[in-house]
Amino acid sequence: MKKKYINSFKIIVVALIFCSSPTLYAFAQSPRVDTSSAGLTTKVAPGEILPISVKLLNFGQGQKVDVTVSYGIFSDKGTQIYSSTETVAVETTANFIKTIQIPFGTPAGGYVAKASILYAGQLVPATTQFPFTVENKIFGFFLTDFYFYLGVILILVLIAGFIGYSFIKRGQANRITPHEYNNVADKERIYYEIISDTIMEMRYRVGSKALEIAKAVEGLVVDPNTGKVLQITEDPAKIIASLVMQYEKLLGQKISFALKRNTAESSVIINKETK
Amino acid sequence: MANETKKILIVEDEKMFRELFIEKLQEEGFSAFEAEDGEKGLKLALKEKPDLILLDILMPVMDGLTMMKKLREDSWGKNVDVILLTNLSATEESTIKAMVDYEPLYYLVKSAWSFKDIMEKIKETLNAQNTN
Repeated sequence: MKKKYINSFKIIVVALIFCSSPTLYAFAQSPRVDTSSAGLTTKVAPGEILPISVKLLNFGQGQKVDVTVSYGIFSDKGTQIYSSTETVAVETTANFIKTIQIPFGTPAGGYVAKASILYAGQLVPATTQFPFTVENKIFGFFLTDFYFYLGVILILVLIAGFIGYSFIKRGQANRITPHEYNNVADKERIYYEIISDTIMEMRYRVGSKALEIAKAVEGLVVDPNTGKVLQITEDPAKIIASLVMQYEKLLGQKISFALKRNTAESSVIINKETK
Repeated sequence: MANETKKILIVEDEKMFRELFIEKLQEEGFSAFEAEDGEKGLKLALKEKPDLILLDILMPVMDGLTMMKKLREDSWGKNVDVILLTNLSATEESTIKAMVDYEPLYYLVKSAWSFKDIMEKIKETLNAQNTN
């Protein structure tokens, strides 16, 4: 009785070696089956094909052996959702790709593809398995991939939006920063400031067109990039009147002024609500 | 805030506009009084010495810029706060020169400003007087 237990134990050990340790199994030179996803896929959607790479090793010595291969797909909970068998004639070794269609309506989750072999003179069972995942698709993407890509795109859009917004705000800040005219005599400075602020306010609203108009005014020299007033060679009141006239025509709105200048604010007020 | 003690003079030839301002300013607790042209406005200003003058430019008898010029010749009037309220565009050299020489606080174009925003500017100006 004690000896029988020992024999059973040997069989189980051999089977375990066959199933779980290919290296040892190869050393034993016994027939075996080996399956894998073959690097093709480990995630499929219901209705799609799951390719299984099957390797049958160490069969016969120069003569063919009929081997029956049984395939099964089981859920994590052990429920079988697919089964099939096929017989192949193997001489020493055989490699082939078995394709299994995952049934439509298969719930998403983790699954295991199992294969076992049966052949004449078999002493111990030989099985192998590999895990894969069933997942639904949306717009041709697996759900997890879809949400991943969506997240990446959203992050990229946010980053691009932030960068774009920063550039716009930086440009606007440059356009609405009043220039300083400390080097200009007190009597003339107010005119420089009004002209400068008028150009600045218009640049904020109509962009470079405001600079083009300012550059065309006779007696007024402005920096072509910043709009800073560099020189006034005509009556400054005439220059301001000319600028106001052209800007009002361009903007379709009359221009107001704040004369007691606070250095943090423009002396020109186009419209309170639009700024 | 000491709104009750603040006096505001409105010099405006359009009666409807004048009365509207008087009503709103009084509702806000200000002491408001009016004149229909620059000449009357100047006399009233020198007599009442308001804290703020709302001044139209185009008016009969004496226009707003002339009134402001005369006001600045007075020892009290040279420092009084003035807000120009007009529909006139600042496209005349004389208007620009007057703005620079007589230093109103604001040159506000009526059509571009809502009544509410003008009231805000008035309150802002009077608040600044309290803090100075």
